[in-house]
Amino acid sequence: MGLSMLQRKPNSGLGNIRSSPADPSRNIDWVLFLAQAALTVAGCFVVFSATRVRTADPYTFVTRQVIFAIAAAVVMFVVMAIDYEWFKQHARALYVATVVVLFALAAYSLAAAGTVLAFEVGPIQVQPAELAKFTTLIALCAYLSEERGDEVSYARFLGGLMIVGLPMVLIVAQPDLGSATVLIAMAMGVLLVAGAKARYILSISVLSALTLGAAFIGRLVNPYQLARVRVFFDENNPDLEKEVYQVTNAVRAVGTGGIFGKGWLQGPLTNGRDIPVIWADFPFAAVGEQFGLVGCAALLLLFVVILVRIWRIAHLSRDLLGTYLCAGIFTMLLWQVFQNIGMTIKIMPVTGLPMPFISYGGSSLITWFALLGVVQSVHMRRMR
Amino acid sequence: MAADKRAARLGVLALVAALLFGVVGVRLWFLQTVQADSLQQTVDARKTKVVPLVPERGRIFDADGRIVAGNERVLTAAVDWDVISRDTDRAELFTRLSGWLEVPVDEMEARYDAGVYSRYLPLPLKEGVSEDVAIAIGERGEDFPGVSIVEGWRRVYPYAPLASHVVGYMGAITAEDQQHYQDLGYDTSVEGEKVGRSGVELSMEETLHGKWGQAVYEVDANNRIVREISFEAPVNGMDVQLSIDLDLQQYAERLLQTQLRLKRLPGFAVPNPEVEKPDGTRGPLDPTKAVGQRVPYKAPAGSVIVMNNQTGQISAMASYPTFDNRWFDSGVGSAKFDQIFPRQGPNGEELDPDLSALTNRAIQGQYNMGSSFKPFTAYAALATGRLGPNTTYNDQGTYKLTSIADDVCAQGVRCVFRNSTCPNPPGEPCRYGTVNVTTALAVSSDTFFYKLGEEFYNTPGTQLQDNVRLFGFGADTGIDLPFEFDGRVPTDELKAQLVEDSVLAQGETKNLQPGDLLQMAIGQGLMAATPLQLAVGYSALANGGHVMTPRVVQAIYAPETPDGLPGFADLTQATLVQSIAPITRDIPMSPELRDPIDAGLRRNILGPGTNDHSTTAEELFADYPAGAIPVAGKTGTAQGRGNYPWNDSSAFAAYSEDPEQPYTVVSYLEKSGFGSTGAAPVVKCMFLALSGITPLDPVVVSEPLDTTSEVPAESLPNVGTECMASTNAGTIRPQD
Repeated sequence: MGLSMLQRKPNSGLGNIRSSPADPSRNIDWVLFLAQAALTVAGCFVVFSATRVRTADPYTFVTRQVIFAIAAAVVMFVVMAIDYEWFKQHARALYVATVVVLFALAAYSLAAAGTVLAFEVGPIQVQPAELAKFTTLIALCAYLSEERGDEVSYARFLGGLMIVGLPMVLIVAQPDLGSATVLIAMAMGVLLVAGAKARYILSISVLSALTLGAAFIGRLVNPYQLARVRVFFDENNPDLEKEVYQVTNAVRAVGTGGIFGKGWLQGPLTNGRDIPVIWADFPFAAVGEQFGLVGCAALLLLFVVILVRIWRIAHLSRDLLGTYLCAGIFTMLLWQVFQNIGMTIKIMPVTGLPMPFISYGGSSLITWFALLGVVQSVHMRRMR
Repeated sequence: MAADKRAARLGVLALVAALLFGVVGVRLWFLQTVQADSLQQTVDARKTKVVPLVPERGRIFDADGRIVAGNERVLTAAVDWDVISRDTDRAELFTRLSGWLEVPVDEMEARYDAGVYSRYLPLPLKEGVSEDVAIAIGERGEDFPGVSIVEGWRRVYPYAPLASHVVGYMGAITAEDQQHYQDLGYDTSVEGEKVGRSGVELSMEETLHGKWGQAVYEVDANNRIVREISFEAPVNGMDVQLSIDLDLQQYAERLLQTQLRLKRLPGFAVPNPEVEKPDGTRGPLDPTKAVGQRVPYKAPAGSVIVMNNQTGQISAMASYPTFDNRWFDSGVGSAKFDQIFPRQGPNGEELDPDLSALTNRAIQGQYNMGSSFKPFTAYAALATGRLGPNTTYNDQGTYKLTSIADDVCAQGVRCVFRNSTCPNPPGEPCRYGTVNVTTALAVSSDTFFYKLGEEFYNTPGTQLQDNVRLFGFGADTGIDLPFEFDGRVPTDELKAQLVEDSVLAQGETKNLQPGDLLQMAIGQGLMAATPLQLAVGYSALANGGHVMTPRVVQAIYAPETPDGLPGFADLTQATLVQSIAPITRDIPMSPELRDPIDAGLRRNILGPGTNDHSTTAEELFADYPAGAIPVAGKTGTAQGRGNYPWNDSSAFAAYSEDPEQPYTVVSYLEKSGFGSTGAAPVVKCMFLALSGITPLDPVVVSEPLDTTSEVPAESLPNVGTECMASTNAGTIRPQD
């Protein structure tokens, strides 16, 4: 491997005829790439608008976000340079490492008797749940792609479930329900495309519901997480005023944006403190208030472009692994975008799931860049 | 592998995606078009928080700039109610705060449950938080959601209990006052708003108060301030300078207390005299006691006033018993407070008025002034031509009414009025022989004035009353202190009212009788005045007919006068807003009117007497140094209940004859004996102090109030009694 794909071949004067059309570096999906870049840049603007009044220096958050984006881009290029087959070969090691880290975090979390979602490594917070999204996807796809059949066998289906189930349970135990639902979505997408029978999918759904239910009943869930979910079903409960207020203001922010929005840096809710953690949890509210329906539609359009491109690459891939990877990333992205926007406009309960590419936060940004790096990797090597 | 099947499955994914995006799109459309306007309305009506900003109350300085009423900045840690509505949140927050505030969690919980704190203002958790802790909590806003440091002021009286009656004290707005203060533009909804309840704190309330400001903030769900919507800064109150000189005030208070203590000593006790009863037999005056049994004076209360008779400014105003005005903000419970300031006697009976410490007797004592009132009767007689300076009268000790027929007198109506008794011969009234107005004042002949009283009675109209009213008797002096009593000038209407109110016996005639005018002429009977009214009257005699409105406030300064030496404000840096100008009302006072009276008052001090009788103050002032302020004055002895000598109250009023040091000094001591032995020594000592002959102790800032104390004010140290020389009971002639 290496960064050879980044080096343009010498121009012989006859065009780039020395390089094969199948050369990975000539098969980057630029539409996907540009849509992703556009979203990331838009994200920096959204983060700036939502955080500038919070800190003494209005650029504190956005500066860090730009640095995250650059770091994420580096990670993405590295992932693109690696043949996705390489991930399959090392899937076991990656998976085991992830599980070990998750175990460690779960133990630490229990010891601390609170919610611990990240390790502090110097100034950086590392969220193992983000890592797990990546490695579990690879492990599941690698495992399923070993069976070359039109429909996945029941045994392999169960094996796949266990691959996803172990990290998921550990993540639920953190407790980070949002990330756990992403893993469930991914598993459902991959298994669906792999040919799991409808009843298998159904059983995943039931199992997931049971796991989440157990988490609630077992009080693994934090009171605030519980409150967030209760808001969705019981918004007139006076005990939940604080949580209701957060969501109510998010809805107000989006709604009052109207068709064209209040304009860049305008709007009392984006500029106020009515929506806690707006920069990470409710960036869509800031978009809605400032840019209105037009801005929201543009944002959604960029996501649609990315989804369509991933879906197309899933089609184009000549091996099962590529298809499965793309399918998993497709469902993860779809779920996470829907969940984040859904909670902002109150069609879903509130979870802490960030909006990919837009929300402030290094872990999320790096994970999504890496995942799209995998998609690009599949696209680049589809003709081999 | 069947690519078409895989494609079909991917199609399912696309379908799901399309579905979810469709849902989002529809919802967005609905929110951003249909609901946009109604949501905008709810945003406009978002939560705000109004924080009242307290002004610093103006301070009160004495004549030298001493801060007699100041303010101490108090920081209070308070928490928004919303933040602690949940038990778990509250417990967590209180636990975190407990160490910082050094308040046990239980105590904070107790405040939460107390039910006495306003739900609209943050719950105060600790008063008097240190600056360091306040800053630390401010910096850790994220750790202490909803916790704020509220800045306030606490009134302090560094020199208390000096001049407590004048300075006054603060208290909450009562239900009765609420409308009044609302009309003045006060926001009576502000919890803990205190206003002056007495003294200058009350009379200058509007000047001192300042104006509340307010900040309106937009708040988030946690009631945390999001941003400021509007800010109106508070306007601090203006500073007030008194004319009271605290050095002199301290001396006056100590002197008053010293003299009252002295008068209670057994050595001053007076014997129960033997008198002739109406039935002709002789017996003890007080039938419960044997003839000659000595009864000590109660000497429970009194007052001293030092007034500048050119400006009306009061330099000292002492009232005994006094109180410490810090009790009102001492934090003692109401049970303890009621014990210190009882509203009724120990058995639920009406409180002995002698004990009421809060009464400022200088302006609220409504007394018979006795003979010290005689100069005003003399003025009325001279002004109405009833008397010339040399009109004489032969005083043979008794005066018999001429306007009542002998047969009526024989039926028991009192027609014969006597001078007070002289020791030689025993039991007989003093006989002063031929007196004119000057000598009558000097030796205090009652019969001379009885005769004038009857003449006024026989003259149509109310000449006597009208003329004494010119001096301000019977009406408020207009001093800038609250709750002044207006005294009494006898009229038919007043008497009828008093009979109706059962103040006088039911059998009393409802209109004035000759006896009433006789009594009035010597300052007894229905005639009553406050010591301050007497001071204003004497000042008008002193300054040639200018009736001054007395003042305790001399100047108003712009807010925030800087501090000077410890305990002082730097008045050189102060911005004068208003200098209180003297208010005078002129009355006729030609030399023909004034000179005979002035001569009589001077002779009362200096002597000589007449017909072998010395004047009433002569002996006391015998050692009065030549370098001291020359004075003219008059003693007064007001008879008390049962005419028992131990119930006599003592009055003395005097003014300076030196226009460079234009002081009028009045003292009145309740149940303390003759004017010459009770009040006169106090006035004499005050003049010696004013002359600079008696050195004044410097005033020092007081120790903090001892809340374990059980008296309204701690006893003061005694002053030297040298200036009271000859106040020995044995050598004093029983004369008024």
